Amino acid sequence: MRKRFGFLIAALTVSVACHKAPSTPTDGSTAIEETVIKDFKNNTAISQYSNLNNAAVTLNGAITNLNSSPTDANLATAQTAWKNMRHVWEQSEGFLFGPVEDNDYDPNTDTWPTDYVQLDSVLASSNALQVSDIANLQQSMRGYHPLEYAIFGRGEGRTVAQLTPRLLQYATSLSSDILYNNVQPLYESWSSTSSDSYGQQVLNAGNGSTKFPKKQDLFLAIVGAMSDICEEVGNGKMYEPFAAHDSTITESPYSNNTSSDFKDNITGVKNVYFGLNGGTGLKDLVASKNKNLDNQIQTAINTAISSFDNITDTYEQAIFYQRTQIQQTMDAINALKDLLDNDLKNFITQYVQD
Amino acid sequence: MKKFYIIISLIVFVAAFSMCNKAEVFSDSGYDERLSGGAATIFDATSHALGNAVNGLSARDARVHDLGDQTFSQTFVAPPSPIFTGLGPIFNNISCVNCHRHDGEGLPTAGSSNSGLLVRLSLPGMDENGGPLAVPGFGLQLQDQAVAGAKPEANIIISYVDSTVTYPDGTIVKLSKPSYNIQNPYTALPTNCMFSPRLAPPLVGMGFLENIPESTILSFVDNGDKNGDGITGKANYVYNEYTKKTELGRFGLKANTSTLSLQVATAYQQDMGVTSYVQTAESAYGQPQMSAVNGDVQPELVDSLLNYVVFYVKTLAVPARRNVTDADVKAGATLFNQINCSGCHRPTMQSGIDLTLSQINNQRIHPYTDLLVHDMGPALADNRPDFLANGNEWRTAPLWGIGLLDLANGTPYFLHDGRARSFEEAILWHGGEAQKSKTLFMQLTSSERNQILKFLQSL
Repeated sequence: MRKRFGFLIAALTVSVACHKAPSTPTDGSTAIEETVIKDFKNNTAISQYSNLNNAAVTLNGAITNLNSSPTDANLATAQTAWKNMRHVWEQSEGFLFGPVEDNDYDPNTDTWPTDYVQLDSVLASSNALQVSDIANLQQSMRGYHPLEYAIFGRGEGRTVAQLTPRLLQYATSLSSDILYNNVQPLYESWSSTSSDSYGQQVLNAGNGSTKFPKKQDLFLAIVGAMSDICEEVGNGKMYEPFAAHDSTITESPYSNNTSSDFKDNITGVKNVYFGLNGGTGLKDLVASKNKNLDNQIQTAINTAISSFDNITDTYEQAIFYQRTQIQQTMDAINALKDLLDNDLKNFITQYVQD
Repeated sequence: MKKFYIIISLIVFVAAFSMCNKAEVFSDSGYDERLSGGAATIFDATSHALGNAVNGLSARDARVHDLGDQTFSQTFVAPPSPIFTGLGPIFNNISCVNCHRHDGEGLPTAGSSNSGLLVRLSLPGMDENGGPLAVPGFGLQLQDQAVAGAKPEANIIISYVDSTVTYPDGTIVKLSKPSYNIQNPYTALPTNCMFSPRLAPPLVGMGFLENIPESTILSFVDNGDKNGDGITGKANYVYNEYTKKTELGRFGLKANTSTLSLQVATAYQQDMGVTSYVQTAESAYGQPQMSAVNGDVQPELVDSLLNYVVFYVKTLAVPARRNVTDADVKAGATLFNQINCSGCHRPTMQSGIDLTLSQINNQRIHPYTDLLVHDMGPALADNRPDFLANGNEWRTAPLWGIGLLDLANGTPYFLHDGRARSFEEAILWHGGEAQKSKTLFMQLTSSERNQILKFLQSL
């Protein structure tokens, strides 16, 4: 009897196993995908561009104030506002795609290097230096870095006595150009609820969006952007001055903000992956299918970010005195980039098929 | 003796069968038609689709590609500057990527930081090498921007006049014809100047275009139109100032440049005012703008950086096709051949031998060009000869990657001056040798036309 009973159980088990519904790659994941997309747009992208807009308003106010009253205190306030603006901007480079590229907001504000030879000519010329004049200058005389030069000087440190009326006028128009011609329209392109706005194109990925006919297209764009900024930092902005032993080719040499720029870039990657302001992130999608991969990516991101703490000198000095630490950070960023390029990209193509 | 016969018959047997099994070229169905660039194809349909390196580069080659990428994106500044110096004194833009946006095409505007259109100019006649005759004081290209203290050669004002085309089925399409007004020349322009606007084209598959065997390209020429399809085609032989030889033109919108290295170096020199070992003279040489820059050291672009950029462009991957199994796309591909678009936009060929780069070596590729110049009719004519290409002739534009331009560039612009904003407009501008195909296209039903457009979108 017991034998027969055992056989029955075995038969039942086998037949239940046979009838198990086959799991499909998209099974049950559409809801998570949509939540991740919605939260990426609202909680990560729009939230950071909103912060960027606020930082640009503050910066423009501080520079305007400095122009009307050039004091040490106002100069210090303007410098702090510039650094805060960079902090927000660099983090937003974790998702450098869409209007920021298509409409040239990135090269209009963040072109490097600054053209000091021409800048001196323009300052010495009869150019009226109004906002419309700035917008017509080459990109190497627009944006954050010429403004950095105006308020931080070149190495020697800017003093109030050096702030000529022309230089102040130039700085004022630069900050207005950043705010009104670039940051504000960038923010609006994502936050607008009009159906053809970029934000809506992202939200409707795989659901009528012309930019992203499939959700997979959007996820690949997001992962591609995360990888691109790792490449730019790990193999470009950090590597070049390090390999050349040349502190003049670092990113923000006059504010000594270079290390902070780099760390903020990778923090931007973290923001996209983990999500911001209580929203879901890519991690929630990855963890729902492959917790091991999620663990690896989380560790790689955190390792890369915390490795910056070992670089205690300014980056301009560290390329001479803390080369081991820089190498470790570049290695950590490249390890993260490999994970994104291979494992995460494969994950997206495998699991996000709609 | 018997053994001898057995051995002989075995030899005959093996020999006969090995002849039977001689390897043949696969049929078309044996290939994956998504692989537009053979082994140099990459699967990426994002806004960065045109900017990927080919797969499988060695660590060293990948590093050279990356350095080329950085230099391609690098903004140049006016001399004397410690880094990336040499811009100007006159120029059209300040970096490669400002015109070739996302390694794609430029915007059809002139004189701004995001402009990707320039104007060539020349006088009637030929120079000693059979090329266009330079205009004294201007050269062969109008530089419409200048560093502080120098004057641009002129400003280019672009305006459009709309017209309509009506299909036999009554559908109406609006076309915009541009005209170019050259204003504020820094010195008087001769009245008999000829002008030719050119939009920066996408960089897809440049390594292959240099590597298609000359014999393959020449085999597409149909002198005297023996097959009666209205298409003849002409190979443009052009002078290479660096090698001092006349060579087959492959690059540029009139196939007016023969090698990638000359193409890149001339773009640095003419578009940005940056000299190199290949193009040693400033574009403003002999002109008064030269006095605006001091302390300039030649060549401005060190040799290695130029070589990196050439390698970068050569090792850009070709994006894979999408939706190739879609019924409309397949039907569109058939119609594309049926109405003989493929008479010039040749779909398939074999690349030549390049032992330095296996990804582009002997690959079956789908560039959709014959690299010949063709009479495109009076509506598109620039009326300015460029070596053997006359004023009606343009090089067949390669179509690979064309369906990704909207992603890479926001709005796609087609034809030599970007006047067409859609595939349909571009087709309707065709004339001359393409007149027959265009007429056949217009006679198709609306759904058949859409199938062709969907096919183009899949490239």
